[in-house]
Amino acid sequence: MTDIFVAAKSNKDSIIKDENEESHMNILSSFCKDPKGISFQTQKHNEIIVLFLRAHFITNLYWIIISLVLITIPAIIGILSSVFGIGFFSSPLVSHFTTVYVLLYYLIVFSFIFINFLHWFYNVFMVTTERVVDIDYSDIVVHNIAITKLSHVQDVNYTQSGFIPTLFNYGNLFVQTAGTEINFEAPNVPKPREATHIIGDLIGKK
Amino acid sequence: MDINFLNLGNFFQPILLVKIVTLLIIGFYIIFSLVILTQVKAMSEILVLPHASIIFKTLAIVNIALAVSLFLGAFVIL
Repeated sequence: MTDIFVAAKSNKDSIIKDENEESHMNILSSFCKDPKGISFQTQKHNEIIVLFLRAHFITNLYWIIISLVLITIPAIIGILSSVFGIGFFSSPLVSHFTTVYVLLYYLIVFSFIFINFLHWFYNVFMVTTERVVDIDYSDIVVHNIAITKLSHVQDVNYTQSGFIPTLFNYGNLFVQTAGTEINFEAPNVPKPREATHIIGDLIGKK
Repeated sequence: MDINFLNLGNFFQPILLVKIVTLLIIGFYIIFSLVILTQVKAMSEILVLPHASIIFKTLAIVNIALAVSLFLGAFVIL
C-alpha cells in the first residue's frame, strides 16, 4: 500500500554524526573535515578551518621499506662476517671504530626516518572559511607557505590515476586562482572527490 | 725553536687521521641535528597540532643528545 504521508526524518542523527566527525582529528589524520585543536600562525580570530588535508599515509610506504632495509644491513653484515669467519672486526682497534660507525650509521638512519616523517606530517593543505592555505615542507631547510582568499579561487579539480591511488582512494587536488596568483596543488590527498566538493561548496557561498 | 719531529711524525699516522675524520663527521652530524631542531621549532610555530610539537621537539633533542654522546664516546674510545 502506498503511503499518503511520510514524515520527514529527524536530522538528529546527522547532527550527531557531524559532531563525531568534528572530534575525529587524529594526529596522523590525512583527511579531516571541521578539525578541532588545529591552528596555524596567521589564522585570524574568527577564521575556522573547514578542511585539513595531507598526503595519504600509504605514500610513506617507500621510505618505510627503505628504512627497514637500512636498519637490517649492519645485522646482515655481522652475520655474514661470522658465517664466513672474517676476523677483521675482531681486533680491538677495528672493533672500536666499528662500534662508533655502527652507532653513527643508526643515528643517520634515525634522521632519515625523522625527516621523511616530518616531510609528510608538515606538508598540509587547509581550507578555512576565508582562505586556502598550503604549507609545503619540501626539504629540511626549505619551507613554503602559500595563502589565497577563497574569493580568488576560480576552479577546483582533481586527478586520480593509477592502480594504487584508485585502490586507496587518493589523488592530486588542484585549486586554480585568478590572475597572476599561484595555483595550489595538494598531492596524494585522500578522498579527492569529496575535498573538491567541499571547496566547491565554499567557493559557491563566497 | 725546538721542533720535535718524532711527535710530528706521530701526528700523521693514518689511524690518527681516521680518528680526526670520524670526529669531524660526527661534528657535522651534530650541526645537522641542530638544524633539524631549528626546523622542527619553526614548523611547530607555523602549524599548531595537538601533542605533535612536544613529541617532535623531544625527538630532535634526543637526537642531538645521542650525537653529542657519540662524539664524546668516540673521542674517548678511539
